[in-house]
Amino acid sequence: MLSKTLIILLGWASAISAHEMTPAYPDLKPSHVAGVVKAEMSLFNSREEIKYYQIELFDLNWNNMPFSTTYRIMKVGYKERKNFNVYIRKSDLDIATYICTTSKIKRKSGARTLVSSRICSKINGEPR
Amino acid sequence: MKYLITMLAIFAFPVFADVNIVGTVAAKCVIQTTKSGVYGNPLASKLSTLAADGGVQPIIRYDVALADNYYARITHPDAFTSSPVLNDSVTWTGGTTVSQTSDAAMSGYDAAKVVIGSMTQFDLTQAGSTWFTTASTATYGVSKALPGGTFTAVVRAECIAK
Repeated sequence: MLSKTLIILLGWASAISAHEMTPAYPDLKPSHVAGVVKAEMSLFNSREEIKYYQIELFDLNWNNMPFSTTYRIMKVGYKERKNFNVYIRKSDLDIATYICTTSKIKRKSGARTLVSSRICSKINGEPR
Repeated sequence: MKYLITMLAIFAFPVFADVNIVGTVAAKCVIQTTKSGVYGNPLASKLSTLAADGGVQPIIRYDVALADNYYARITHPDAFTSSPVLNDSVTWTGGTTVSQTSDAAMSGYDAAKVVIGSMTQFDLTQAGSTWFTTASTATYGVSKALPGGTFTAVVRAECIAK
């Protein structure tokens, strides 16, 4: 009975826990640096157990690509929305494909599985 | 005079101002961890999230605002992210299935899923919410007892724009 109650409480505690990133298909705008464009992104964190998100840029084959942003690992509080810019060289635009944010997980005690979430927007993609 | 009164009456109507409420529905994906998993320890050599083994399976909910814009990719663990020192190999099994949907048109998701190694990909062709359940089992050595301590593994849930 006690274990069942604990399981229900664990489930309830994590019932509203979400990671959201927009836009799905970012528009690339000129930046203040010549030869560099920027994508304006927004991330919303309602995963209470997550405080940090990593920003990454990938090509179509999921190889990491160079980019610039203010913080590659940014702190996003619970129920906080954070806007961030990803700066990409124009010369990389032919192969740069995905801008992703991935939740960073802290070690916890207990035998358990944790969920790492990653959302990827597509550069040069179009809504269907 | 009559003409003037008529003109004044016409222009005496109250002024209407249109206040627009503008909303945009854009492609968006939200990953919600509805339930974190817990490993049960049914045998000395085994950790499992199956309910029959005393575990709890993680449930991940995907909300997509527009149809046919995202893939859901869920990868069950193939290693511990933290554990006591292990001197033998661990055999991992697992899988991901659709456990609940908000739209009957999503009923074909499970049949159409693509499994590559430990990753399962679902094509989110409908707008709405889908709940996925991931099973994970770790078996240590050949019926070897796992050492005491904390074991943690990570399920990766990805939402990839098409």
